[in-house]
Amino acid sequence: MIKVINGGIEILVEDWPGRLGYMGLGMAAAGAMDNLALQLGNMIVGNEAGEAGLEIAGGYCQFEIVEDGIIAITGSDMSPTINDEEVSMWIAMAVQTGDILKFSHFGETGFRSYICISGGIDVPEYLGSKSTCLFGSYGGFEGRKLAKDDIISAAKKACSGIAGKKLNPKYIPEYTNLWELRAIPGPNSVPDYVTEKGMDYLFSTPMKISHNANRAAYRLGEVPDFFWAREDGGKGGSHPSNIVDHGYNMRGAINVTGNTPSILIADGPTLGGFVCVANVINADLWKIGQGIPARDKVVFKLVTVEEAIEARKERSAMFEANDLLI
Amino acid sequence: MSKYDVILDTLPAKGDRTEILFRQAGDGFIQVEYGYEQRVELLDSFRILAADAKIKQMNIKGLIETLPSLRANMIHFDPTVIAPRDLIDKIKEVEESLKGVDDMVIDSRIITLPIAFEDSETKKAVSLYSKQVRPNAPNCDNGYNLEYMAQCNGCTVEDIKHMLLDTYWYNSGCGFWPGGGFFWPMDPRCKMIVPKYNPPRIWTPEGAVGIGGACLFTYTTATGGGYQLFGRTIPTFQLSMKHPQFKEGPFLYRPSGDRIKFVEVSEEEILDIYDHVHEKTDYVYDIQESQLVVKDYIEFLAQPEVVKGAEEFAARQEQGSKTTPKL
Repeated sequence: MIKVINGGIEILVEDWPGRLGYMGLGMAAAGAMDNLALQLGNMIVGNEAGEAGLEIAGGYCQFEIVEDGIIAITGSDMSPTINDEEVSMWIAMAVQTGDILKFSHFGETGFRSYICISGGIDVPEYLGSKSTCLFGSYGGFEGRKLAKDDIISAAKKACSGIAGKKLNPKYIPEYTNLWELRAIPGPNSVPDYVTEKGMDYLFSTPMKISHNANRAAYRLGEVPDFFWAREDGGKGGSHPSNIVDHGYNMRGAINVTGNTPSILIADGPTLGGFVCVANVINADLWKIGQGIPARDKVVFKLVTVEEAIEARKERSAMFEANDLLI
Repeated sequence: MSKYDVILDTLPAKGDRTEILFRQAGDGFIQVEYGYEQRVELLDSFRILAADAKIKQMNIKGLIETLPSLRANMIHFDPTVIAPRDLIDKIKEVEESLKGVDDMVIDSRIITLPIAFEDSETKKAVSLYSKQVRPNAPNCDNGYNLEYMAQCNGCTVEDIKHMLLDTYWYNSGCGFWPGGGFFWPMDPRCKMIVPKYNPPRIWTPEGAVGIGGACLFTYTTATGGGYQLFGRTIPTFQLSMKHPQFKEGPFLYRPSGDRIKFVEVSEEEILDIYDHVHEKTDYVYDIQESQLVVKDYIEFLAQPEVVKGAEEFAARQEQGSKTTPKL
């Protein structure tokens, strides 16, 4: 349905919620980095919200439509064009065979765009999901990012009445350069692992996203030495960030190695020997991958589990709102 | 009381059970931790896996998955289906219903894995490391890791090979890399300890057998890594699921107390088995259904020759680690 002319930085097939149920066997969930943009895009083109779409990181890519169909572009605005004419985002568009779809590069805000195709992406499910795990080279399209001449097929679907449907503008997510991530402390926190002052620092200081940020981990600026409540890692190792290997609260774990915190996401490690001091709440996971590496900042906001559960419910209610699509 | 407190609940120590802590770990995660003080103790793992099996059998609505490790279990759940409080109550119920670890009998398969020591693929990994990452690394003297491992433990290369072959290696849980297990020596006389590569390798072949700290790992696919290498075993993972052993999933190990036992073979045999696993798909894995009777194991640990042997080895190890260059 769509052919890659130029693969740009990284285009992947990803769905939501990804490959759940295999953490105990060493397999991370993978899945869309911005699950909100993916799910909204799917709803616009009449798919199940969690259907797979194409996740475009960074931009600089080009496609040719090789079969008529309906698509929606969501996520970060990378000035998409069809046949060199600007097109709108967050709307179901009919596309014709021969159309050329181009994405420029990431701009002022956001780092990932999504293409959702009416009917969904036709790749085989691997262990219950169409998501690509890039680090393990499995799932999605041949376990890899898309390259020139790859053709992605869509399942056939009756498309009448879908073109022109768009997301009510009031529901378009807000993209920024300072990402507030609501988070919950634990499992390693005060008083045994981190000092009160250290947690205050974590929950108040904007931290720059490192250039070393990918689908497994978003590395952040360092925490100061007063962060630690311990001299060393005891049986786990010499540094206070060490711990006897334990399972990670993935996706969303705020994992600290040495003095460097990383947010573990999508393809991240499931288990390891470093402390996890907090967890980004489920309703805010979508923001992480929209942070621009080496430029944007994140700031963690302390919330309670009750507030996080409430945020999940609000998200579900939004998906079911009568005025979601207009 | 701090706003960053994470301990939601506890179960006090009882009999041979250590204290259990329920730690908040997010809006969809709770960590069940065994003991406040960190320790490395296989008996904790037996208990965790016994509880884990029971938790899975309960078909708790809203439970997504569990991730057991040596001294904790990470529980992943949907809090809009089951409240954290109710989930903790269910896990407590399981814990209270468990027998003392003395009376436990754990399902534990015995998987026999052939190994070729110092084969050409793992040698290639060491040589690449010496060329591309860290020339003259003390753990790569003479182009391999075995001599360094022997030094660290105050013993000979032959002793190191014997320790690998003489004990069962017990899996406390899977993780880190798809299909990978974390294996610990069941015989304390074989408990070698080595530091990890610093910095890590860029490449390790599929099937490499390595050890870091006291924990053994068989590399399920080619990847980076930091464990010191013994040699190469047969495939323990198959993404394509072509071979009948992998019909149900790409994993050989289960996160439930598998034991592995190594037998030494030639490199030719290993290569031939790769062909019969991945291409001809007719290799028959040597897997025995079995049980681990914890009482027998505790008795084994208490035998005078085991206690004495372990003490003697620990003393040599202490000497060895003092005189061996750090990484």
